[in-house]
Order: sequence, then structure tokens, then C-alpha cells
Amino acid sequence: MTDLTRPTRPDLTCDDVRELAASFVLGALDEDEADAVRAHVATCTDPHAELAELGSVLTALAESVPVVQPPAELKGRILAAAAADIEGRASLAPVTTAPATTAPATTAPATTTPATTTPATTTPATTTPATSETPAPTPFPSATERQQRAAGRAGPGIWILRIAAVLAIALLGGWNLLLQGQLGEARTYEQNVAAVLAVAGQPGSLTAVLTATGGQGPAGLAAVASDGSVRIAMRELPATTGTQVYETWVIGGDGVPRALGGFRVGPTGVAYFEGGGVPAQDGIVLALTLEPGPGATAPSSAPVSLGKAVAAG
Amino acid sequence: MSDSAGPSPHRVATVVDDADRAVLGRIADGELRALDELYERYKTMAYSIAYRITNDATLAEDVVQDAFLGAWRNAARYLEERGSVKTWLLAIVHHRAIDAVRRRRPTSELPEREAIPPAELRLPDVWAEVSSRLDVATVRDALATLSDVQREAIELAYFGGLTQVEVAERTATPLGTVKSRMRLGLLSMRRVLLDAEDRALPASVQGAGAPAGIDRR
Repeated sequence: MTDLTRPTRPDLTCDDVRELAASFVLGALDEDEADAVRAHVATCTDPHAELAELGSVLTALAESVPVVQPPAELKGRILAAAAADIEGRASLAPVTTAPATTAPATTAPATTTPATTTPATTTPATTTPATSETPAPTPFPSATERQQRAAGRAGPGIWILRIAAVLAIALLGGWNLLLQGQLGEARTYEQNVAAVLAVAGQPGSLTAVLTATGGQGPAGLAAVASDGSVRIAMRELPATTGTQVYETWVIGGDGVPRALGGFRVGPTGVAYFEGGGVPAQDGIVLALTLEPGPGATAPSSAPVSLGKAVAAG
Repeated sequence: MSDSAGPSPHRVATVVDDADRAVLGRIADGELRALDELYERYKTMAYSIAYRITNDATLAEDVVQDAFLGAWRNAARYLEERGSVKTWLLAIVHHRAIDAVRRRRPTSELPEREAIPPAELRLPDVWAEVSSRLDVATVRDALATLSDVQREAIELAYFGGLTQVEVAERTATPLGTVKSRMRLGLLSMRRVLLDAEDRALPASVQGAGAPAGIDRR
């Protein structure tokens, strides 16, 4: 009796456990009985080798089943779910914000910059994403979400968007964020990417992958809707200081950059931008430059990151 | 049914286990690529069993996804145990598949359970003893030692997700007899596996307080 902290139901004797061993390893006990066996084994001085001995046979049973290959896409789903679930892992500190299980369309994407200091075109600016009715960090998709799906009252493809977001992060090389323990940033960036993907999935929209010249440096994902609105999710942007802003530019067929608005970036390097008035023409270029202050009408330096927008899908 | 003795299985178990545990260690560190490796190693086993139990592709996919997510989340905890990663995974897959079919069953008396109790994942210290890869002939031989009623009881439980009480009802057999069939069936399979593995393990099971030896082969 070292740490039997929870009261257990009927206490089993060693003989009880031996008698139940076969049923236990076969999974033929109901949950209460199985829990009672576990509780006994956890504290018993007898190692109850019979459980392992009978359990070893299951490998043979398992290997007697016809071989069926899982669908190829299952792996992507699992890895995406694991990445999205990263904050749910017991060994890691929880993220302070609620997970983005709400549809991106209704979630205020998080940025690290106060909106008040940025031009009006930058709408989302809160650091607290909409909490809504979302419970604590959920596995992904959680059992509840899956039940809701099964019951036909699921939200509009929430989990699909989250998977897509994580996969997009993977493609963009954003694993670094996930693997360097920067979970808050990773989560924020994922929300932002999900918001971008919500636009990217609409008919007639364009997407652009923004990268730094040379490959190393600020990168992100942008989507331009057919109505000319644009959403950009960025990571690894050096923090702005003083009056500095990142200015967003669209370069059309005439080659002239037109300013879309600016935003500031904090130490996390993660940012989200929304603007409008972008011609949704295949081949336009989206670019970011670092400007000394808001309101630039022409870039004062080379882009820190840019990408060409192409028709989605 | 059994037709060949087959080559004696090589003792790769330890090597495989060590490699698996190394992968699990990386998973515990949050390395997604390691989860990828574990999945590639065991996806077929996991999916085949999940499919055999659920007989439903979508459900089987959910089960496998849940199981690997369970591994992802609990890798660190499991590393404290000593056991085969394969058996651990197998146990998770089996448990979740059974859970899924029980939940699906309309007449189930089982309460809806939101989550699998974590205790499931603490089992493996008693599951340590596993062979890594059994050859087909050995598996067939082991299954061939089962009497029809033993096989029925074991399959209804392990693949059908029935509890021993439900097996008793289904087969119109006293509960004590069902327990014996399961126990004696597993023991006789185990003897075959042990012979095949030609590995000396303590024969402690042989005489360990059998309840009532009703179904002798």
C-alpha cells in the first residue's frame, strides 16, 4: 500500500486476480472489474506474472487477423492531430490561451501587436483569441467533436481546418516552432494559418506562400479572396521597435507596389494581418517590408518576405 | 490445420524492443518524426486489428488515430515502465476498438465513457513478456490447439468485444465454464508459443490455481 490514493471498488484478493487473469487480458471484464484488477496489481507485492504470461498470447491472436492496410492519408491526420494536440501533452506546460477549436471565421486570430497603433486595415489584434464555448485544451479531434460529427451536428469542418492548418505549417517548415517548445507561438501561428486557410478554401481565392530571400527568415501564408480581402499569417519576423512597422504590399501586373497597411510584431515573431483592396488576379505578388513608420507609400527597403499568389487548389 | 513447424523464430525481440523504446523516447521529447516512424512500423498491425474488431473502416481509422495519439501523449509515462512497445500499442488499439464496438452496440449496458481511463496505459509492466514477431506457422499452431468452444469464447471476447458475462449468455454456458475456457485456451496457446520460442520461461502457470478444469482439450 504505497500510494493508493483513490478508493477502489471491491477489493480483490490475489486469488481473485488469478481467476480473472484470462478474462482481463482478453478485455472481457467490464470496466469496473478491470479497474479493480489494475488497482490490485498496482499495489500488490505479488508481481502477478500470470497476467503477463497470458497476455503474451495476445500477440499471436493479434497476428492471426487478416492483414488490412490503412488508407495512406491516415498518417497525415495522425501527425497533424499530434501536432495540434501538442499542448495537451501532460509533460508540457499548458498554453495560456484557449485552443482554436472554433471556426477561424469566428475566431479573432491572435496577433502580438496592439491594434490601436496600427493602421485601420489591420483588424485582428487581440492577444486573446475568442474563447467562446470551447472547453479546456482538447485532444484533436476530441471524442466530443467526433461524437458531434457522428451525430451530424458538427461545426463547419472545424477539425478539418485545424488539420489543414497544421499540415500547412508543416509544409512551411513551421515544425521548428512546434519542436522548440514555443508552444504559445505555435498555437497562435496555427490559429492564424487556420484563419488564412478559411479564405484559401473559398472559390476564386488565391494563396501565396511568403518566404524570405535565401529561404531562411520570415515566412508565412497568405490568401486573397475574390472580393479582394487578404489575410496573411507570418512567423519568425524580427520584432519591430519604436515606430517601425511591417508594411504589406501588393504588386500587380504593372510592377508598382501598392501599400495595404502595416503592423507591428512583438518578440514572438508571429503576426497576422488582414486587409482589402487586393486585385484577385493570378500572379500578383504579396510582399512585406520593414518601414521606419506607418504610412509608407513606397517601399524603403527590400522585402523581408514575399510570395506570388496563385489560384488555390 | 497446422501443417508445418516452421523455422524457429529468431530472438530479435530485445533488439526490436530497444529500437522501439528509442523511438518512444524521441516521441516523449515531442519529436513528430519519431511518431511518424512508430506509425510506419506498426500501422498495419494496428489497423488490421482495429478493422477485425470494428469491421468498419471509418471506425478503425478513428481507433488507430486515437491509439497513436495515446502513444504520443503517454510516451513519457510509458517509458518508466518496462515492456514491449508493440504489446503496449496492441493493448491500446485493442482496448479502444473494443470500447468503440461496445459503444456502438445499441443494447449495451455499459455506461458511455468519455475517455479511456489512463490506468489502461499503466498496465504494461506486467505485459513485459512478448515475442516480437511470430511466424505464421506458429500462430496457426497455437490457434489449432484450441478446442472449438475455447476458440469461440476467446474470439467472442477478444475480437467481438463481449464481456465474459455476455459470452456466457451468448453461448448459453455457465460463467465459470466460460472463464475456464478462456483461461485454458490461452494456456494451451501459450505452451505452443513457448515451445516455438524455445526459450526457457518459468513454468509457473502450469499449476497456478486453476478455477475449475472443465474444458480439457
